Amino acid sequence: MNIEINGAKIFARFHTGIPVLGDFTINETLVVSWIVMAVLTLLCIYLTRNMQVTNISKRQAIAEMLVETANNFVRNNTGTRKFDRLIPFVAALFATSVISNLISLTGLRSPTADLSTEAAWAIVVFIMITTEKIKAGGILGYMKGFTQPIPVMTPFNILSELATPVSMACRHFGNILSGIVINGLIYASLAVASSAILIHINATLAQIPVLDVGIPAILSVYFDWFTGVMQAFIFSMLTIMYIANASEG
Amino acid sequence: METQALVTIIPWTFIAQILNLFIQMYLIKRFLFKPVNDILAKRQALTDKEINEAKEAKADADKIREEYEGHMQGAKAEAAQIISDAKKDAQAAADKMIKDAENEAHDIKVKAAADIEQEKKKAVNEAKDEISSLALDIAGKVVEKEINEEDHRKLINDFISKVGEAS
Repeated sequence: MNIEINGAKIFARFHTGIPVLGDFTINETLVVSWIVMAVLTLLCIYLTRNMQVTNISKRQAIAEMLVETANNFVRNNTGTRKFDRLIPFVAALFATSVISNLISLTGLRSPTADLSTEAAWAIVVFIMITTEKIKAGGILGYMKGFTQPIPVMTPFNILSELATPVSMACRHFGNILSGIVINGLIYASLAVASSAILIHINATLAQIPVLDVGIPAILSVYFDWFTGVMQAFIFSMLTIMYIANASEG
Repeated sequence: METQALVTIIPWTFIAQILNLFIQMYLIKRFLFKPVNDILAKRQALTDKEINEAKEAKADADKIREEYEGHMQGAKAEAAQIISDAKKDAQAAADKMIKDAENEAHDIKVKAAADIEQEKKKAVNEAKDEISSLALDIAGKVVEKEINEEDHRKLINDFISKVGEAS
């Protein structure tokens, strides 16, 4: 039995003729991303509907809790209130990541199973880190930072600087992709195992992958739920930590 | 259906995802953070207002209590004043009454003494008259002769007045 794990499906392709950028494609990643955005936005609107100052509903309590959690997350990890303007960004990053990771439970393909998504996020974070560093030490201070502690270290410092977004993107992508690969392998192997058992009873019955019911759900607690939430958390955590460190110069 | 490579970066998808992230950030800010922060700010304002109102109410209550205590002190002083005035008045009235009574008693005593004196005089005079007429009668009987009554009377009166002075 062969199993095949493919990249995102391409629904439409528009030829642009622009070099480097190539053709614009409407693919699964983008479509599911829009679904995720719609889900998140509708959730926000639903949670903040009919807000009251006193005698609040459960919905409002959840909304307030989410905002408080985001505030505390950023404030506790940076130790100051200097980065309060970043709270919506970090919240958006975390929420998008979590919903993107978990949407695979509905059978859709996670947008985070496409390296383009994580690369996009990591580049945004990288630009923010660099901006903070330049703000803290000036252009010269930023340049000079690469020659520390001795000038010979410059290439390694540049490499480690570039490694930040690459490692962030690849860590997240790798975890989600590995989840997909392992899930595919488990489904396939359990189908093989159930047909091997049922062939002794009846040949047609052997076509039904009995073992695929239930068992993958247990495994998905780790590969989808745990990994999905964990990677989102790690990505947001690293974002805020790197930016906080950068501003210290 | 056509699929893209498993591990690849599609430039347009990359750009679109950057834009999506910022759009998502705006949407979350607009639909979650803004309303919740507004509500939190409102609640904060309400709490502050209530605390201030409570403080004001307490200050008012303190003021009223002070006023009340002041009034109570005034009332107590006034009551003491009234009582002491009343006592003074009563004392004065009592004193006056005693004095009046004393005066009256004195007057009565004086009058009584005068009356007694008067009566005494009257009695003495009456006795004088009686004695004189008795003496005349006796003398008349003794001498059996009517002497000049006028001379006699004069004589006897002289005698009596001498007796009265001696007594």
